[in-house]
Amino acid sequence: MTNAIPLEAVLVVAGALFCIGLFGALSRRNMVGILMGVELMLNAVNINLVAFWRYLEPRFITGQTFALFVIAVAAAEAAVGLAMIIAIYRSWQTVNADSVDSLRG
Amino acid sequence: MYELLDALINGRLGLGWPGWAVALLGHVAVATLLFLVAPVQMLFFTYYERRAIARMQDRIGPNRVGPEGIWQPIADGVKMFTKEDIVPAAADRYVHLLAPIVVVAPTMFMFAVVPWGPGMVPVDLNVGLLFFFAISSISAVGLMMAGWASNNKFALLGAMRAVAQMVSYEIPAVLSLIAIVMLTGTLSVVQIVAAQGGLVISTADLPGVPDVGLGWFIFTPVGLLACLCFFIAALAEGERTPFDIPEADSEIVAGYMTEYSGMKFGLFYLAQYVLNFLLCAITAVVFCGGWQGPGVGWLAAQGLSPANPDGSWVFNLFAGMLGVFYFLAKTYFFFFVMIWARGAFPRLRVDQLMDFGWKFLIPLTLVNVVSAAVWVGITRWGPEEGLDFTAQWSPLLRWGVAFALTMAINVVAYLTLARLYAAAQAARGRVDLEELVGSVPTSA
Amino acid sequence: MTLVIQLIFGLVAALIIGAAMMVVLVRNVIHAALWLIACFFGVGALYLLLQAEFLAVVQVLIYVGAISILILFAIMLTRQVTGEGVRQLVGGWRLWLTVAISALLFAVVIVPTVASQQWNVPPPLGPEGAPEPLAGPAELGRGFVSEFLLQFEVAGVLLTVALIGAIVVAYEERARRRRVLTLAEEHELRKRAAASDQPAGD
Repeated sequence: MTNAIPLEAVLVVAGALFCIGLFGALSRRNMVGILMGVELMLNAVNINLVAFWRYLEPRFITGQTFALFVIAVAAAEAAVGLAMIIAIYRSWQTVNADSVDSLRG
Repeated sequence: MYELLDALINGRLGLGWPGWAVALLGHVAVATLLFLVAPVQMLFFTYYERRAIARMQDRIGPNRVGPEGIWQPIADGVKMFTKEDIVPAAADRYVHLLAPIVVVAPTMFMFAVVPWGPGMVPVDLNVGLLFFFAISSISAVGLMMAGWASNNKFALLGAMRAVAQMVSYEIPAVLSLIAIVMLTGTLSVVQIVAAQGGLVISTADLPGVPDVGLGWFIFTPVGLLACLCFFIAALAEGERTPFDIPEADSEIVAGYMTEYSGMKFGLFYLAQYVLNFLLCAITAVVFCGGWQGPGVGWLAAQGLSPANPDGSWVFNLFAGMLGVFYFLAKTYFFFFVMIWARGAFPRLRVDQLMDFGWKFLIPLTLVNVVSAAVWVGITRWGPEEGLDFTAQWSPLLRWGVAFALTMAINVVAYLTLARLYAAAQAARGRVDLEELVGSVPTSA
Repeated sequence: MTLVIQLIFGLVAALIIGAAMMVVLVRNVIHAALWLIACFFGVGALYLLLQAEFLAVVQVLIYVGAISILILFAIMLTRQVTGEGVRQLVGGWRLWLTVAISALLFAVVIVPTVASQQWNVPPPLGPEGAPEPLAGPAELGRGFVSEFLLQFEVAGVLLTVALIGAIVVAYEERARRRRVLTLAEEHELRKRAAASDQPAGD
């Protein structure tokens, strides 16, 4: 497997995914859309971790463990983020990130 | 399968195919077989359910098409094929089309790890049990797509209910399986079945027990509680009465299936019955030994295998047939219990469903995980793990102490939780009523 | 064999990138969420290709089975924006700025770094032809209760806190909820009303 695909190919795919996620997080107006962009970025990071584990030190579990912790944090982040979006929607009747600006001086 | 094909293609015929081509051919053959078997099971299950529920309701059930109505499912299938395929004008066409596929595909995937007999498993994944549940959670996405794309209030309500129910009841289901995973120390379904040889006591706990394939986990306190919790969760996962809230026809027409007709509806129907079959099958496999039963182990030992090269293939055949018979008998029994529950219980309310899952089943399964730890500690651990006092005990004494201790933990936990839960429900009903009485002006 | 693996890798990579592009570009938020699920699947397939079966299964279980469902729920609970026609991306110079940031990050930072770095990939483990001895779920499990015990516990605490926090944040006051009476409650109310009428009538 490791000699069929170079490590660089996997890393470039992960990098592209990260940049697409970054673009989504920065340019979406919908808060759920922003969250989806963040999820894409976290997935890109995970691909990197797993790829480094597989190619550089397949004997150890560090890479996979780190990826599992990232998944756990992503789950927590999604739960809290979406709960906040629902709470904001309840009081502002909008999920547009630009419209929620009462803290702007 | 691989060795068989390899011997046939490269040995007998001498074609010299590469290994991956043989493996691919083998997997394709197995997958084709399963795709043929799954719809047949579904057809049989619809007939079985209608006849059994009819008996319980003092009716006869379908008995016109063929002897005792056995061809009724075929007639129903033909009817479904010939119906018009309707897509609502306001529906999201592509998502509406894709939803039945997303619901059916995972249920077919799940067959990949179910063992049918000794050595008869499509793929022996080392994370088989987890794979089963991961894949089953995908169909929730399909239900959501169906509910949303139909652009219908009932469909959306049904989908929301279905998904909330599936996500909540996945937790007790997985937690009750974790207890079994702790007992066996593996996630592979094949090894879980292999650990259930013995006679009431598993050979894994007490070496020297006669192995007649009856060392099922359901005979231990941990396994019994896990089996009950898992089966209740499976009823909710498979949307069976008393948890058939997502498609409660008296409340929300047919839930997420409301806007589907013809073969698309047929696909949802197929997915549901295949899922029920699989849930019954996994209950049978994990808690009741799967293909294990009197005679299978002996027959398999006489057969042709790497360990026994001068056995006869006839014994392999008989072992396989007997194993599949035991497996299907257990599966059909559990499906009968599902039908029985449908005949016996009324439907729950949504809030009762959620309360029961989160406040009763999850704590109970968590306690069961603790008892599983106690079981493993007493029966397996020794001085190396830092448990000195069990070192002098005989295996039988260890088993007895573990049995008594886990039994005590589980019974106390069940009684306490049942009392707490009943009290909480009663208190909640009182609060609801007081709030209502306060808010609604009485006529006086 | 090598060619087959490369072909599969190409397909999986195309799925990941294509689905991710659809997630950020599609107008309908629900469609975006569905493409996101497709992308998660692609990542799971990539894990399988990288021989991390446990992570692939966990990816499907957590991302497809839980997080995407949460996202779909949130979208459906905050309707009005799901339809077409509403502008979904920021407009004008801000859009071009974000495009520039992402494109430059990819083309100027990531690709040259990856290309110029000399990775010393060790040769495959184990004897020729045999399956490699990779760290599997058993090693992971042992790691979680020995080497990474503290991190494991912290992750558990984090998830508990997130669970409670999400409930508290999204909790709606009982009094503000609209309530439909069940038949049993209606019956009980009538009974009480009748009972309270009785002494008044005496």
